[in-house]
Amino acid sequence: MSSPTPAIEIQNLKYAYGRAEAVNDLNLSVQRGRCYGLFGRNGAGKTTTMKCLLNLLRPQSGQVRVFGLDPAKHEVEVKRRLAYVPDQVAFYPWMTVRETLDYLASFRDRWNAMTEQSLLERFRLNPAQKTAGLSKGQRTQVALIAAVCPETELLVLDEPTSGLDPIVRREFIETVIGAYQEGDPGNRTILVSTHLIAEFEGLIDEFTIVDGGQSVLTLQADEARDRYHKIRARFPHTPPEIDLSHALRVKKTGRELELIVNGGGPELLERIERQNPESLTTESLTLEEIFVATLQA
Amino acid sequence: MLLQINYKSGKPVYLQVVDQIKAAAASGALKPGEALPCIRPLAEELRVNRNTIAKAYSELESIGVIETLPGKGCFLKENHSPLRKEVRRKMLIEEIDQAIVQAHHLQVPRDEFLQLVQERIETLEEKRRAYENLNVEKRED
Repeated sequence: MSSPTPAIEIQNLKYAYGRAEAVNDLNLSVQRGRCYGLFGRNGAGKTTTMKCLLNLLRPQSGQVRVFGLDPAKHEVEVKRRLAYVPDQVAFYPWMTVRETLDYLASFRDRWNAMTEQSLLERFRLNPAQKTAGLSKGQRTQVALIAAVCPETELLVLDEPTSGLDPIVRREFIETVIGAYQEGDPGNRTILVSTHLIAEFEGLIDEFTIVDGGQSVLTLQADEARDRYHKIRARFPHTPPEIDLSHALRVKKTGRELELIVNGGGPELLERIERQNPESLTTESLTLEEIFVATLQA
Repeated sequence: MLLQINYKSGKPVYLQVVDQIKAAAASGALKPGEALPCIRPLAEELRVNRNTIAKAYSELESIGVIETLPGKGCFLKENHSPLRKEVRRKMLIEEIDQAIVQAHHLQVPRDEFLQLVQERIETLEEKRRAYENLNVEKRED
């Protein structure tokens, strides 16, 4: 059985600003209908990667495909099928919210006016207000409405919630799940870059951690949480010698031992248990903890 | 019905939803014929992928715990598993084996383990009785 063309396919992507390499040999593939997280610290190359997908930057080498198409050669077709929320949202300041949405809708084949209305109400936005007077949060909300209403197959979100207050962040994510995904479940693909990983934890199916312009780790979210564990043990005396070479990180404080493992948790647990600890607990790492553990290893 | 996702449990998110709804049905917190929350509001509330909830519901439907009535939503079914008895026993044996392995690792001896099983069954039955009494009182009101 041949699988359908992925929504996004990036192979050996390279991009440098002058001598500063932003993306260096990045690979990733996003299947349709998935929510894919691109996690990285500031300057890891997330925005540059996204700009190559949107043909805002041309890859210096490597290949970028959106629905099997080269964004540089099929710019209109690619942009027709995706919507984008950048980290810095800018509108024409003299336009009102209403005029801005009408203006953005004029570029689209489809525009769900009912979704627009319900989101304007949900976000308590005043359509008559000039965009110059919008707060950062409100600006992002208008951009989100403009990205959800065209009902595109792909939604690209670049650090969408950084710098927003917790309520706006929460509403943002609920809108992506509700208004966007519900429209055609199973056929709506999301690529989201963020360093606020905890908020998107439940939404992410699969993720890639990028660092220094390269993919460091790519995993399914459920599989990641199954593999990465934190083990804590406390012994009656100083911890005995145990082979901990499998652990990603080892922290010894007094009678306590704290380990982070990537796979092999049960075996290590058994080895520790044979040393009769006073207490022994284990829990999975969240995606954010996996991110930190990976980049600090 | 309150669902709670724990990302530190290491259990796939959709399975957490499946197991919690099964538990609610077993304890009587959710009754046959009662409606489950719709996929979209539940996904929004838990802030999990819509497809994760859809996957959980289709799993619950395939094992005969819930049924979907087109245009009406999802409902808890009467407790009639469509599976044959041997299959049902085998499924349970797998779960019991896992608990036994876990008991070994947590240094819980055999007698204590068996006693715990007794206690847990009684707790569940007590809960179910409490829900039933609550219903009787409601009807009498």
